[in-house]
Amino acid sequence: MDRKKIEEMVDEVFEESFEIEKEQLSQEKGIFQDLGLDSLDIVDLIVALQKKFGVKIRDDNRVREIRTLGDIYSFIESLYKEGSFTIDKN
Amino acid sequence: MIKIKLLLLNVIFYTLFFIFSTIYIPLMIVILVLFALVIPERIVLRRIRRAISFYGKIIIHIFTFPFIRVKYEDRSSGDEKGPFIIVCNHRSASDAFLMACLPYECVQVVNIWPFKLPLLGWCAKMAGYLSVNEMSGEDFRKKTGKLLEEGVNIISFPEGTRSNSRQMKQFYSSIFRVAIKNKCAIVPLCISGNEQIPARGSGILQPGIIKLRRLAALNWENYKNCSPFILKNKVKDILKTELEQMDEEI
Repeated sequence: MDRKKIEEMVDEVFEESFEIEKEQLSQEKGIFQDLGLDSLDIVDLIVALQKKFGVKIRDDNRVREIRTLGDIYSFIESLYKEGSFTIDKN
Repeated sequence: MIKIKLLLLNVIFYTLFFIFSTIYIPLMIVILVLFALVIPERIVLRRIRRAISFYGKIIIHIFTFPFIRVKYEDRSSGDEKGPFIIVCNHRSASDAFLMACLPYECVQVVNIWPFKLPLLGWCAKMAGYLSVNEMSGEDFRKKTGKLLEEGVNIISFPEGTRSNSRQMKQFYSSIFRVAIKNKCAIVPLCISGNEQIPARGSGILQPGIIKLRRLAALNWENYKNCSPFILKNKVKDILKTELEQMDEEI
């Protein structure tokens, strides 16, 4: 349930901040190759994710390992499990 | 017949290219260095860029004649005010020379390797071309900002490297960040027909027609609400649509 909600919220970031259509968003998609982000866009992505989830992730080393959309889902999920933020389930 | 044509084109082109380059570039450098002693730097830079444009025109129009024809088409609205950031697709090494068609004072954003070419690399450095991978992001922003302030147009190939086909690669966003920061108009420039002139990994020129089409500028008012990511894809879509049409024409 929480993983599903996280995926939805991450997808919303891509739809709202990057105008990428929902149909293009699936967890195997590479954020560089498939979605077309570059290293500078990643900075914008981090800012948007921080705003969406109310967490500070800029200095988290795990960010450097992110290659696919699935990696982002898992990273945000691990932050959630660590108690870095809560999800409003409504 | 086709093989003879190919042989003639390449023998004539490269002979003239090497002779002309080894005479013209050192001569240009000497003259401009002497100028620099008595003329303000800004004027010297303008003359270097004009001299490079003249050099490019000779290469693309004269040395390739009659085997390769280059056609430049201006579809600007006529009342556009520069300086512009000119965004081009990148299929071949000849793109850098084709920029001589543009009637503006320009600086190109280049990769590392053109700077390492003898003679041509020296010219690029003298003209203030920007080797984007050899400078920090901050330095790039400062230098591009200064150039635009001085009224110099900036040419960028946001794919970063030659696409080697008619399919465009993903765009890098750095030049679009510069455009947003400086509220600068973006001019899409489509180049079609030079995929084999020369093909990537080959120096052999194939006869053909190259078309350059300068499209109407995208003013800051048209994109002020776009993020760099959205803007780069917007410009890429404009280029893609036009290129599909141009490729069909050729």
